Amino acid sequence: MNYLLCTLMEIPWLPKILAVIITSGIAFCIIISLLVLTVIALVLIERKLLGFFTQRKGPNRVGLWGVLQTTADAIKLLCKENIELKHADKILFTLAPIMAFASVIVLWCLIPYNSEFHLINSSVGILLYFFFASFPMIFHFLAGYSSNNKYSILGAYRGLALTASYSVSIIFSVLSIILITGTMDLDKIVLYQSHKWIIFSNVLGFIVFFITSLAKLNRCPFDLSEAESEIICGYHTEYSGMRFAMFFLGEYAELFVMSMLIVVLFFGGYLSPFGGYISNTFMGNCPISSYLIYFEQTIWLFIKTLIVIFSIIWIRATLPRLTQFSTLNLFWKYIIPVSMINLIIIFLVRF
Amino acid sequence: MLKQLYLSTKAILRGHYTVLKHLFRKPVTEEYPEIHPFLNPKFRGVHVLENCKGCGYCKRVCPSNAITIIKDDSLPSRYSIDYSKCIFCGNCMYYCPSKSMKMTEAFEVATSNKLDLSYDVENRRM
Amino acid sequence: MKGYLGMDKMCLNLGPQHPSTHGVLRLILELDGEKVLSAEPDVGYLHRGLEKMAESKNYIQYLPMVDRVDYLSGFFYSYAFCNAVEILNHIQVPEYANYIRVMLLELNRIASHLLWLGTYLLDLGAISPMFYTFREREDIVTYFEKVTGQRLMYNYFTFGGVRHTDIYLNEVKNIVEKIYFKVDEYESLITDNPIFISRTKDIGVISKKKALDWGLTGPNLRASGILQDYRMNTPMYDDIEYDIVMSSEGDCYSRYIVRIYEIRESVSIINQCLEYLTTIELPNIECSRVPILNNPVGEIYSFVEAPRGLTMCYLNSVGEDTPYRVKWRTGSFYSTQILKEVLKGVNLSDVMAIYGSLDVVLPEVDR
Repeated sequence: MNYLLCTLMEIPWLPKILAVIITSGIAFCIIISLLVLTVIALVLIERKLLGFFTQRKGPNRVGLWGVLQTTADAIKLLCKENIELKHADKILFTLAPIMAFASVIVLWCLIPYNSEFHLINSSVGILLYFFFASFPMIFHFLAGYSSNNKYSILGAYRGLALTASYSVSIIFSVLSIILITGTMDLDKIVLYQSHKWIIFSNVLGFIVFFITSLAKLNRCPFDLSEAESEIICGYHTEYSGMRFAMFFLGEYAELFVMSMLIVVLFFGGYLSPFGGYISNTFMGNCPISSYLIYFEQTIWLFIKTLIVIFSIIWIRATLPRLTQFSTLNLFWKYIIPVSMINLIIIFLVRF
Repeated sequence: MLKQLYLSTKAILRGHYTVLKHLFRKPVTEEYPEIHPFLNPKFRGVHVLENCKGCGYCKRVCPSNAITIIKDDSLPSRYSIDYSKCIFCGNCMYYCPSKSMKMTEAFEVATSNKLDLSYDVENRRM
Repeated sequence: MKGYLGMDKMCLNLGPQHPSTHGVLRLILELDGEKVLSAEPDVGYLHRGLEKMAESKNYIQYLPMVDRVDYLSGFFYSYAFCNAVEILNHIQVPEYANYIRVMLLELNRIASHLLWLGTYLLDLGAISPMFYTFREREDIVTYFEKVTGQRLMYNYFTFGGVRHTDIYLNEVKNIVEKIYFKVDEYESLITDNPIFISRTKDIGVISKKKALDWGLTGPNLRASGILQDYRMNTPMYDDIEYDIVMSSEGDCYSRYIVRIYEIRESVSIINQCLEYLTTIELPNIECSRVPILNNPVGEIYSFVEAPRGLTMCYLNSVGEDTPYRVKWRTGSFYSTQILKEVLKGVNLSDVMAIYGSLDVVLPEVDR
């Protein structure tokens, strides 16, 4: 991307501002198409896996083995009517799903996909990530508040309580990584792991981060803000059609990007797990291989991410839901002290 | 406390292992319209008559008054069952004195028109 | 916009359409935040008039109807009604028929408990156990279809015995063996799981006195520490040895434990029935036997221990073809009643845990 920007900048007749807009436009198109495709694939994977975990076949009607099922669902959601609520706060009600989805797109731009394609290459990447990652939750609350439904309000409250429980420990476990690597730049964190993944030096931190990210993603066993057996759907009870699809897309996009962050922070990001790259060894030094490497890096990142997502779906298939009080209990009594101890240990080892 | 932590972790991992085992088992679901479910000969589906003499006992034991018999001389000329009323309890079959009432394995009687549900049962002569 | 934030209390109508009210129960909850201040169960959305219906139908016509009182344990209701008519008309049931009845009743109890287990875990948020338990229940239900002709509405027990003796004993043997191992599998998923324990231990405690006061029966009563099993008083069960499962805590967890162990007990009862049924030679009965019912004047109260508590059938005959009055006493109705008492002061997320653990089936409540 930087390369593209520089070339465009060098064209004498092109205004500089237009060059920036073109570059970011292309980047945005790549990200959004990648996001939608990944989410469609991800929902299919989840439904298929949940089917296999429970000795079913999963979706198998649309397309070969049901591969087009989620695409059909997405088209159906696009065509559905947006139900206008009489007593809802119209502006907030419409704004909330859009903003919740938009903030997730920013998260996708923050992840280094390979050593070149890194849209927002900031020296405080982690900080930015958690800044934008806190947005969806706020808009989930606003969605629940504005739809003027009792179940939505309850779901919104529960989301707030969940935030109160996980936000401290997620920062502590990220701090431990910053202590180890000495940087907040996601690119540098990845490169730091070229010899040894951080998970080997920070196991406790990984466990804390993994459990906390489950809570952050509203995933099982912490899916209490949209617990369907208790409060129907939580904050998005009243949403339908495209607005619901926004929440749905945002939720799964966040799941994917959070798993990518886990990979970036603990499993070496886009780096190959075997040290060398396959395209390098096979293609030798021919000029294409230097480009192929970028694709290979992205594929490594996605493979690792899918493994993380598999374990998240596996957890969803197994565990019942925690209540809101036991969640607070778990985080404030066990997870936060553990993350603090972990931070202290790493501090002592490091200095 | 450590022991409790160990036990709960063990229990959670055991649950995960049980679920993982099912990943490698064959699916038990049947794809219904393509693969017809296996039904046993005793299944109580749509009725069939064989040599009905029109005694009307089935009409008396039917709990939902679904059976209409119009008699012509001694033999029934029309024997109709209203499947919007029939509850497939099998009383007509169980209590038929001449055992001429049989229930087949056909169970797909759904239509979009309610009037189609009431129709004559064929009376086979053997 | 009219918000709920400023209010102290919130009135929440949980149901009749709600994912986990197992039908159409309406719970009127008064909430303070997540805390339930008062709860008022409102039943009657599934009322089909099964008691009134009996007054216009004769005994044979009414018999297939009683399976529909509770579609998850139809055999029990069939049995209760048959038993009432048998006592009224002084019909003797042959011993082999008794054994067949016991075997089918216990299989039905297992099927019912399995369904409860799956849906209860679904209420708590776990997905897989539901499908695992339905897989085993499917075996039992398919067997019922093979024997009786339908999966849920059996119409198999008659006045004075069973319709026919064409029962596939080998299949029962296979099912029972399989279930005994599968229960271990469920337990490995559920019993020690700390999340499950945190959701159910010390939640919805029903003390001994409260349970007796509100008329709880069945597993819910035994979970509160009272040794009361009406199988002890049923002559059908006289020759069969079994343990009565009891737990003393009275919370959701002990109700779960009682049901899980009842599945194992039912397996041992079925094994004893199988032992007996394989040794004797079953007479070949044709199904077209019309029982001769004199229906003398009298009042009968017959009972059976159903999976959801004591089931009683009150039958009042004035000597006509049709019963003068039939009244069903069902366990679920009493379990629904006690919600008013138990739900007071609990959290909203525990409402479903408590309600699910009581194993209420709405058609049985409303009849």
